[in-house]
Amino acid sequence: MKLRRAGLIPAVVTAVVAGASLLAACSGSESPATSQQAAGTVFTYDTTAPVMVDGWDPATEYSDGIIAMSEMYETLTRYNPATHAVSPLLATSWSSSDSAKTWTFHLRHGVYFHTGRLMTSRAAKASIERTIRLGGGASYVWGAVKTIGTPGKYTLVFHLSRPAPLALEASADYSAYIYDTKAAGGSGKLTAWLNAGHDAGTGPYTVQSWNKGQEFEVTLTKFGKYWGGWSGRHFTKVAYRVVPQDTTAAQLLRSGQVSFIEQINPSLWSSFKGDQSIRLVSSPSWQNLLAQLNTQRLGLKVRQAIAYAIDYKGILAALRGAGVAASGIVPRGLFGHFSDLPNYSHDKARAAALLKAAGYGPGRKPLDLSLTYTQGDSDEQVVATILKSDLATLNVHVNAQSLAWPTQWAKAKSSSPAGRQDIFFEYWWPDYPDPYSWFSNLLKSESQPYFNLSYYSNPSLDGMIGKVESEVATNSSAASRLYRNMQVTVLRQAPLVDLYTKNYQYAMDSGISGFRVNPAYPNVVFAYDLKP
Amino acid sequence: MTGDSPSDRRGAALAALRGAVRANPLITTGGLIALLIVVVALLAPLLAPYPADAGSATHPEIALQAPSAHHLFGTDQVGRDVLSRVLYGARVSPLVALFVLVIACAVGIPLGVAAGYFGGLADEVIMRITDVFLAFPPLLLALAFATVLPASLTSLTIAISITWWPWYARLIRGQAASVAGRPYVEACRALGIQRWRILLRHVLPNSVTPLIVQVSLDFGGVILTASALSFLGLGAQDPTPDWGLMIAEGDAYFSTQWWLVTFPGLAILLTALAFNVLGDGLRDVLDPRRPLTPGKPLTSRRSLIPRRFPIPRRPPIR
Repeated sequence: MKLRRAGLIPAVVTAVVAGASLLAACSGSESPATSQQAAGTVFTYDTTAPVMVDGWDPATEYSDGIIAMSEMYETLTRYNPATHAVSPLLATSWSSSDSAKTWTFHLRHGVYFHTGRLMTSRAAKASIERTIRLGGGASYVWGAVKTIGTPGKYTLVFHLSRPAPLALEASADYSAYIYDTKAAGGSGKLTAWLNAGHDAGTGPYTVQSWNKGQEFEVTLTKFGKYWGGWSGRHFTKVAYRVVPQDTTAAQLLRSGQVSFIEQINPSLWSSFKGDQSIRLVSSPSWQNLLAQLNTQRLGLKVRQAIAYAIDYKGILAALRGAGVAASGIVPRGLFGHFSDLPNYSHDKARAAALLKAAGYGPGRKPLDLSLTYTQGDSDEQVVATILKSDLATLNVHVNAQSLAWPTQWAKAKSSSPAGRQDIFFEYWWPDYPDPYSWFSNLLKSESQPYFNLSYYSNPSLDGMIGKVESEVATNSSAASRLYRNMQVTVLRQAPLVDLYTKNYQYAMDSGISGFRVNPAYPNVVFAYDLKP
Repeated sequence: MTGDSPSDRRGAALAALRGAVRANPLITTGGLIALLIVVVALLAPLLAPYPADAGSATHPEIALQAPSAHHLFGTDQVGRDVLSRVLYGARVSPLVALFVLVIACAVGIPLGVAAGYFGGLADEVIMRITDVFLAFPPLLLALAFATVLPASLTSLTIAISITWWPWYARLIRGQAASVAGRPYVEACRALGIQRWRILLRHVLPNSVTPLIVQVSLDFGGVILTASALSFLGLGAQDPTPDWGLMIAEGDAYFSTQWWLVTFPGLAILLTALAFNVLGDGLRDVLDPRRPLTPGKPLTSRRSLIPRRFPIPRRPPIR
């Protein structure tokens, strides 16, 4: 999803739900991580769904694994929300040619992989070339790379086939990690080795244990030879605890059994106000909830009618601070965002007129639509209910179905168009600090649907998408104009509707300092920077 | 006329039954609550303060409001009046239970009667099939069927019915086997009366009494099972005001907006309790092993159920 929250079927029955929730919250199984947390060395991250759902390969992982992988792996650069630019990480400096077709990165000295090998330019080159070769995840961030040179032990030179903002792309939250390709002994079975629950990064933490399907899913421990060193106060372990129930998560935080709650409904989040032991964090994000409309089934007028029928303000009211109004499809704070776009607003009369022109609407033949959203996500459920209500008044009947993410996605990618949904809810966030992935992944023509689940094809938009990456590297004002035009096209054609931009609402132990939300890395805490 | 004619005997039995029912507080209490639920279900459009909220209407601007004079049971996560939805919910869960029991009886009774009356191979085949179903925990089996069917009230009804009928087949089979050996049935056979006529006129009517008690006891159990499956997302879908679904949707808000799960939970509790109490009362009246009134010897009871075949109890569903 960039999924977001693969839902779990709660394993309790109705008659005991309340009691079970309370009991689970009150008892909380004791674990090694819990007892160590009391000593202040373990940072326990509470998540509603398993983290490592898309494999352990840093080249191809393209889901919530980022939450743990960002502690184990590092990239050449990292986006800094304070400066709105990328900062050094594994690369200490970089430069590009005037044409932005040659990029030189100078690597940090004395960096070791968790396997014990020294990170050199050759190792970094091997890592990037393997990621490109596998072609999974967001490997397109290296798409412009033609060749990689290693003129020095710590110097990497990229020769590109087209201008590209490589320093920005090298900070991507997916497929930009530098890892040891010889971790499995050069046997060629690296993927299998990684997927057994190993890591080969350079990050401050390395895998201690992985319990697939268990509540204590992953535990990371400090990597002693981390280049940043371990002087000062740091967490020495990071544990990921899967707690699907919001109420249970809240109780665990109150009782000090978890340090941080990544997702909780706004009502519960607000209930922490006034509790001195808990710090609330609310921050704008680059993550939005999109309704992708099936362009193969729904005509332009129907799509526009749906966009006008939605009560956007009502959705924000129901989310009680967990969302902010969207403009276009690029979230505020990201390059390419414009607040003066011709956005849709709730206009029932206009929606009715458009439906009438399409042969539907009140007093005409009913329109039946199917909608899928991710099971277990209470925000999506609320939005689906409101959308259904908005459309019902226009004689459009929506059959909303909550499905576990893998099922929802598989249905959307079904080889049979008849088996696909009409409306698909999905969260999206950027792969690197640029709006490119909204267009390249969600709106660019695809022969086989992958993330373009509107099944939208517009050669004119494809052309603009093809140009914008180079423009970002060479002419930012031209790139800005392009992003504006692309969004206007999307708004007019309505292959998808941006329902709202998420407002991150985290709750954490107030005794922990150093946390700063970085919207380029959704829900990642960078535990090394925290002070217990 | 003497009191020995069949009509007199039937009249006396009915009079005794009426007296027993009047004297049994369980039947009165359970029956009144059940009647109240039926009345609420019928009059929901008149009783609900915001009838549209039981359908697709939403009011996000008043989401999650605590109980007040305007919304006695508060509002839910999209601003719908919880009281209206709970009242309309009386039309959903009890109706599902009714359909389940009708289907289970429609399948279980003929099969049970056939197995009990004919015996032999028919008995073996039917009973082994029921054994297969009974080998699984009922809720787990219903869950399995509901999972493979598209989530809807119809699927929910089918899934529970599939797990319910074997209990009735087994119960009625024992009764039918007993009745099949009675002299009056033997006499019918000797007179050359057709089998279907014997089954319909003699075996079936004399076998169903324990089932009546069992069905009344099961009503609450079916509601709980249906609610559990709806809670797991396998039954009714929003905006259907199903109590189990309402609890599932309110679960995430349980600790801060207690009214979202409490009121539909109480509705389930009250309904299940009413039918369980009613069923217990009926069993008291119809089961010869229980005294009709405290202190009265068992031997003085007129029994409507043969003593050799006490009412089997289903294991509780958990």
